[in-house]
Amino acid sequence: MNAAVPLAGHFAPGTLPYRDGHIGVVELGEGPTVGYLHGMLGNPGVHAVLEELAAAGHRVVAPSLPGFTGSSEPDGLRNLHDWVVATSEVVDVAGLTGAPLVASSVGAMLALELAAVRPEAFGSMVLVAPFGLWDDSDPVADPFGTTLSVQRAMLTEDTAASAAFFDDPSDLPADMVVEHGVHRYLTRTAAAQLIWPLPEWGLADRLHRVRNPVTLVHGAKDRIIPASYLERWAEALPNVAGTHLLDDAGHQADFDQPAAVARIAAAAFA
Amino acid sequence: MKSIFFHLMPYPELPPDFPEQHRSVWVDIDPKLYDPTVGHQTYNAYLDQLEFAAQCGFDAVGINEHHSNGYGLMPSPNIIAAALSRNCPDTNIVVLGDSVALYNPPLRVAEEIAMLDGITGGRMIAGFPVGSPMDTIYAYGQNPATLRERYHEGVDLIRQAWTSDEVFSFNGNYNKLRYVNVWPRPVQQPHPPIWIPGGGSVDTWDWCAAEDLVYCYLSYFGYKAGLRTMQGFWKKVQELGKETNPFQGGFAQFIAVADTEAEAWDLYREPAEYFFNTCLHVYAGYADPPGYKTPNTVRAGVEGMVERAAREATARREANAAEAAKAGGARSSSPSASYGSKKLSFEDMVEKGYIILGNPTQVTEQVHELATTMNVGHLMVFSHFGNMDPELVKMNTEMYATKVMPEVAGLFEDDYEDHWWPQADHQLAPVGSRAQ
Repeated sequence: MNAAVPLAGHFAPGTLPYRDGHIGVVELGEGPTVGYLHGMLGNPGVHAVLEELAAAGHRVVAPSLPGFTGSSEPDGLRNLHDWVVATSEVVDVAGLTGAPLVASSVGAMLALELAAVRPEAFGSMVLVAPFGLWDDSDPVADPFGTTLSVQRAMLTEDTAASAAFFDDPSDLPADMVVEHGVHRYLTRTAAAQLIWPLPEWGLADRLHRVRNPVTLVHGAKDRIIPASYLERWAEALPNVAGTHLLDDAGHQADFDQPAAVARIAAAAFA
Repeated sequence: MKSIFFHLMPYPELPPDFPEQHRSVWVDIDPKLYDPTVGHQTYNAYLDQLEFAAQCGFDAVGINEHHSNGYGLMPSPNIIAAALSRNCPDTNIVVLGDSVALYNPPLRVAEEIAMLDGITGGRMIAGFPVGSPMDTIYAYGQNPATLRERYHEGVDLIRQAWTSDEVFSFNGNYNKLRYVNVWPRPVQQPHPPIWIPGGGSVDTWDWCAAEDLVYCYLSYFGYKAGLRTMQGFWKKVQELGKETNPFQGGFAQFIAVADTEAEAWDLYREPAEYFFNTCLHVYAGYADPPGYKTPNTVRAGVEGMVERAAREATARREANAAEAAKAGGARSSSPSASYGSKKLSFEDMVEKGYIILGNPTQVTEQVHELATTMNVGHLMVFSHFGNMDPELVKMNTEMYATKVMPEVAGLFEDDYEDHWWPQADHQLAPVGSRAQ
C-alpha cells in the first residue's frame, strides 16, 4: 500500500493506484476482512465506525470512491453505469472481492447496483440508509439545495459526528487547509453526481438480482431519506437478514451511532 | 466602444414584502405570484423598450436566459430575439445567451441562431453561457459534476455545425448524432461572433483567452467590484502573449442618467431598491452547488456573481435577525422573521458603483473610467432595472443614447479592431416590408 498522501492531508492515510490516479484508503484492525463503502461524507481519515469495526475483531478496509476524500478526481465517470464499473474496480483494487461489506448512503446504493450485476463482489451486506428508491408521497429530501451548514445538519443528527469531514484539525498546515477544502468540495461533488437531481435510477427494477443477505440500518432521524424507507427497502430486497431503526441517528447513522452499527455488522457477519 | 441596451425583463409587481415573506426570487419563487395579465403587459412593454433603444441608436440590443426567475422573464431568449428581429432592422441583437447545456441536442441553438441571422441579414451575436446554478442545476436538473463538460461539448458541436461544409457525425460523450446538418446556415461566415458570459470562473478566463472568444462579465455589482474579475481575464490573455484588445471584453452596468444629479437621485431610487432588495433576494442555498465550480476556481477562492448576490442577501437577512433579537425578539416570533431582509440602501448602491448615476457629464465620466480601467469595448447598459416606470426607461434610454453614448463611442475604435462584432460586409440589406 502506498503511504504517500500528496494532496489528501488527513483524509487518506493510504492510497492505492487506480486507473491513471489513485484512491484513498483507510485500513486498520486484525481479523477477518470487512469492507466499508462510505456515504456522502466519504472517508475522512480514520473515523469512528472503522475503529469500532476493528475493535469488534475485523480487519477493515475502507477505500474512497473516485473523487471522494483522498482519491483522484474522477475521470470518465459520466453516468451510473460508469460508476458501477468503477465501484467494481475499486472493490477489486482494495482486495475486498467477496468480503462482507458495510456500506452507507451513496455507497450503499452503489453496492446494491454492483451486487445486482456482480453478486460475487460481496458477501453479506449491512446497508445504512441506501439511496435508490423514491416515493412521490414521501420524497427523499434534496441535501444540495441548501447552505453548507444546513447540509451538515442534514447528514448527521449530531453535527459533531461529522467533524472529521467538515472541521480541519487546528494544526493542519495552511496549504493543506486549502487542499482539504478542495477535497471536501470534490467529495460533495461526487456525492451530488450520484444522486442529482433526484436519486432514482431504476434500481428497484434490478433488486431482484441481489441475492446477498442484506441487513438494513436506518437512522430514525434521517433528514434526507425518511425513516419510512427502511420498510420500503425491506419489502423490495429479496434476502433481508434484519432491519434496525436507530434512535438518535440521522442519515449517516454510521457516523452518529458507530458502535451500534459495528455491533449490528458483527452480528450479521458472525 | 459599443453600447448595448440590455434587458433582464424582471417581473415588475412582486409584493413589497416579498423579501420578508418569501425565501427566494429564483428556483422556488411562488408560482401564485405570477399574474398572466401582468405578464402580457410586461412582455409587450419590454419589447417596446428594446425597440425604442434600437431606434435611439444603440449599437445593439441584448437579452439573456433565465429559468424559474422573478427578475428574468426570458426562459427562451431566442423567442424575444425573433420578436425583435423584424422590428429592429438596423440594430444588432446580442443573445447572451443560450445556455447550451440545457438544449438537447444543442444543435437547436445552432439552428435558431442561424434562423435569426437569416431573418436579420447577419446581425446576430451568439452568447453561450454555462448558465447560473439556479438555471442549470436547480431549475433544469443538470448534474453539476458534468455540466461544464456537457457545455463545452455543446459549444464544440455548434461551432462545428456552423462551419462544416459536409454532413458529419458527432460522437460526443453527451451527444450522439449520426447526421449533423444545420439548415439554414448563418448569414455571417464562418459564423456569428461568439461571446461567453462568465461569472468569475478562472477556467472560463483561460478558455476565452485561448480561443479568442469575448469574455463578458455580467455583474450586478458594478465596475468597481468587477475590476478584479476583468483583470483576471486580461492577465490570462497577456500570459498567452496575445493582444489585450478591449473588444474582447464585455461588462454590464446599471446606468441612471437625468438632467441633474439631484433629479437622478429622486427618479431612480424606487426601481433600484426594487431590483437590489427584491429581485436579488436569492436563497444562498442555491448559489453554490458542489461541482458547479471547477477545482481551480475553488482553489483560487473566486466568488461567482450570483453567489455574491445570495451571500449579500443572506448577510442582510442575518443582520436583520440580529437586530430583531437585540430589540427583544419581537419579530422573531412572526412568520416573516425567517426571511426578513435588511435593505441595501440606494446610497450604498451608488457609492459602491453598482449604479452609475448622475447628469450626462457625470455619467459619461464614470462610463469612461469604467471602460478604460476594465479595458472593455462592449458595454451592456442596463437602462431599465427593477420595476422602472416605462416613461422613465424611455428617458434614461434616450439620454444615454444622445448625451453619453456619443461621448464614449470613439473609445478604442482608432486603436483596435472589433473582431467580435457583426461585420457590415457580411450583412445583407433589409428586404420585404423592412426595406420600406
